[in-house]
Amino acid sequence: MAALKRARLLCLLISVACTGTESPSGKATGGTLVISTGGDPDILIPALLSSVQAGQITDLIYDRLAMIGDSLSIVNDAGFTPQLADRWTWGADSLSIAFHINPRAKWHDGKPVRSSDVRFTFQSTTDSTLGSGTRPLVTNIDSVTTPDSATAVFWFHARSPQQFYDATFQMPIMPEHVWRGIALSAWRGSEPAKHPIGSGQYRFVRWVPLAVVELAADTGNYRGSPKLSRVIWNIAPDFNAAITRFLAGETDFFEQLRPENVAEVAKHPELRTKQYRGLSYAFAQFNLRDPANVARPHPIFGNRELRRALTMATDRTTLVRSVYDSLALPALGPTVRAYPTTDPNLAQIPFDLPRARQILDSLGWRDANGDGIRERNGRPLQFSLAVTGTSRARVRLAVLLQEQLRQAGAKVDVEQLGFPVLIERLRKRAFDATIGQWNTQPSPGSVRGSWGTGGSRSTSGTNYGAYESPVFDANVDSALASFDQSARRAYFTKAYETIIQDAPAIWLAEILPTVGYHSRLQLAPLRSDAYWAHIADWWIPADKRIPRDNAPTATSVAPSESAGKKAP
Amino acid sequence: MIRYLGARLVQAAVIVAIVATISFALIHIAPGDPFSAVMDNPNVSERVRATLRAQYGLDRPLPEQFVRYVGQLARGDLGWSFSHDRPVSEVLATAVPNTLLLMVIALAGSFALGILIALIQVARRGSAVDHALSGISLFFYSMPDFWLGILALLTFTYWLPIFPVGGAVDPVMHEYMGLGGRIVDRLRHLALPALTLIVLASAGVARYQRAALLDVLPADYIRTARLKGLTEREILRRHALRNALLPIISLLGLSFPALLTGAFFIEKIFAWPGMGLAVVNAIGTRDYPLVVGGVIIGSIMVTLGSLLADLLYAWADPRLRAH
Repeated sequence: MAALKRARLLCLLISVACTGTESPSGKATGGTLVISTGGDPDILIPALLSSVQAGQITDLIYDRLAMIGDSLSIVNDAGFTPQLADRWTWGADSLSIAFHINPRAKWHDGKPVRSSDVRFTFQSTTDSTLGSGTRPLVTNIDSVTTPDSATAVFWFHARSPQQFYDATFQMPIMPEHVWRGIALSAWRGSEPAKHPIGSGQYRFVRWVPLAVVELAADTGNYRGSPKLSRVIWNIAPDFNAAITRFLAGETDFFEQLRPENVAEVAKHPELRTKQYRGLSYAFAQFNLRDPANVARPHPIFGNRELRRALTMATDRTTLVRSVYDSLALPALGPTVRAYPTTDPNLAQIPFDLPRARQILDSLGWRDANGDGIRERNGRPLQFSLAVTGTSRARVRLAVLLQEQLRQAGAKVDVEQLGFPVLIERLRKRAFDATIGQWNTQPSPGSVRGSWGTGGSRSTSGTNYGAYESPVFDANVDSALASFDQSARRAYFTKAYETIIQDAPAIWLAEILPTVGYHSRLQLAPLRSDAYWAHIADWWIPADKRIPRDNAPTATSVAPSESAGKKAP
Repeated sequence: MIRYLGARLVQAAVIVAIVATISFALIHIAPGDPFSAVMDNPNVSERVRATLRAQYGLDRPLPEQFVRYVGQLARGDLGWSFSHDRPVSEVLATAVPNTLLLMVIALAGSFALGILIALIQVARRGSAVDHALSGISLFFYSMPDFWLGILALLTFTYWLPIFPVGGAVDPVMHEYMGLGGRIVDRLRHLALPALTLIVLASAGVARYQRAALLDVLPADYIRTARLKGLTEREILRRHALRNALLPIISLLGLSFPALLTGAFFIEKIFAWPGMGLAVVNAIGTRDYPLVVGGVIIGSIMVTLGSLLADLLYAWADPRLRAH
């Protein structure tokens, strides 16, 4: 067997022509993409995953009915392109959408994709036993029916601009024949979770925990063969090891460079960087409720003018430049510039340290004892700023913010915590202020959960700072209910302006993700929510290939030793 | 001897039980839970969280969880890893051999190198070579393992690209290599983490061994050997070293925990898929069963290593065998 592999490899190394073929578009197919990544995927089930790596891998293995466009428009079906559904028809009352399944679509095990797979996916995702985080996102979908094996009809409770997005983006379709016999509570530990079978342009080959995940091109895929033969995630939990692998040429792609890496990459003529608009923003969030008694306002941050003064004392431009160099912009608010609904000229609270000092004086916060820290009624203007110690950028933000606010007379105690500890503190609302970051979805609607009243009052809500504004809530609701893109933008602008002026947080940085890649790799556009969305269109010219590009692709999936064992 | 061995094994079992209990309590008391990442997802409802906790028995009181865990252990079941979604025994069965390989090579290499350095130093005691080797030993002895690991990584994989950056094998090409190629590939990946550990540990061994050798050199039997006309090299090798090895055997037992801890850092830096990497990640993700399972296996390795050192000591010193 080894000799056979050697012979195949030798053949392939001797002749590049053995592997390279010309696609209809004139770009050679073949080649291996090795991505340097920092961790294992948590689980390869779209409905249950939470890690970025799992999202990348499952997005290539599983197809959706239709794919969102690069503009990230989520109103009706504008910009969406067909995947498993080759066409769709809206019901006369717009309360249903009938998706016609592409008759050529097949699972990686050769079985055809049927409408019953779509129904099964919806039913599984919305079953509380599974515990899927997608479930609350598809509550507007009442049911899925299958009048025939090629048609899946989604029925909605109410007309909404996001209907199509909910039905397609949120639910990659899973094969019923693979999962039907497995209890929903046992999905996490099941064999198909480790060796997934999908219908995407890449099929699963192997996953060696803490080492590698490999996918291979599904050459007979109904959407055509992808240009790269293989995609491999090379896992290095240590950041230095991961970036060194990229710089040393062991990997082709590094997904999130730090500022200090960009200069290093520039020293290598064979390496390139590319920046794109992302969906992440970082902020310093104030807790508006008293951690000792959440029924009371916070003794410091309960006051809107004080929060505005602290925001005014923060030179966000300098701060962002110091921490991220050119890899971020000052954040606009609880949003990102990639959304078509975001006005990039949103009015901000300006940096004005003398004015901030005046406001604090007028509020009664004065430095009576000359120690540089303001007091009021014997209480110093002092608070803790909790930050996860695992994020170097956020720790730097905290330290620089500490220094900037010191100049305004506030004493900030930076508290570095482990991520689980920080989450626990936030969930219990046991903090004064924190440096946070939200990685959002293509829909700007997640702002309702993270900054709206619902997210504040629910025990499981993520509006940890408990900001509540009926004006903000109403404008967000109106924006999300509007079908007209300009009206949506106008409502969102009002909502953002409201929250910016109320200053429940200092909006610090909007991250501009910057990837590093080898120049032999030809990239397609990098979509804001998922740079990997167009990996099937990435390619490596035949004359630029290296030995690993020509390694034969594994065809079989080794069964796991844990097959048959079930999670408790 | 058998009674002694039995008593030591019982003692080792008690130590392992205590360590497992403490680690079980500590990791459960620490804030957060295995579903922290899921919990941070704004779309995951409280009901879903409760379902997940109930599914894995995390909603029960801690004493009950402990009793259930002990029951599992009694049946030889280390539990289910949340982060790997497979039995802990399977995760560790993959990881422990990698760690053992690294540790055994590091242990053998560091003692061989350390003793060699000490012999050179004592043979040339007081010379510039002795002082230089002392300085170098002290330098590496005082260097943090993670720092040396990062330096070695940058030096020998990036500035002088001699070795691969990390992992146990080439993730892309290993499957397609012949047996010889696979062995070479594995050795190339093993070289840098093993060398890092060897350099770190050998510095301590050298300092210890040098002191032990200097202690025995004034002894009567060494003087007798000199009077018999033996060369200094023969005296060192045949008389001094043999007697000076006894404290080094004690050091061997003490080195197991230090080396295991060092291996944890080195594994993370070099992405070596061993127990250290698995357990460090498990701590971050609050994968309780994997943390406790790793601690149990680690403490078994340490106590057995210590026992082995005691037995070696008894074998080397006839006076102890009599007791």
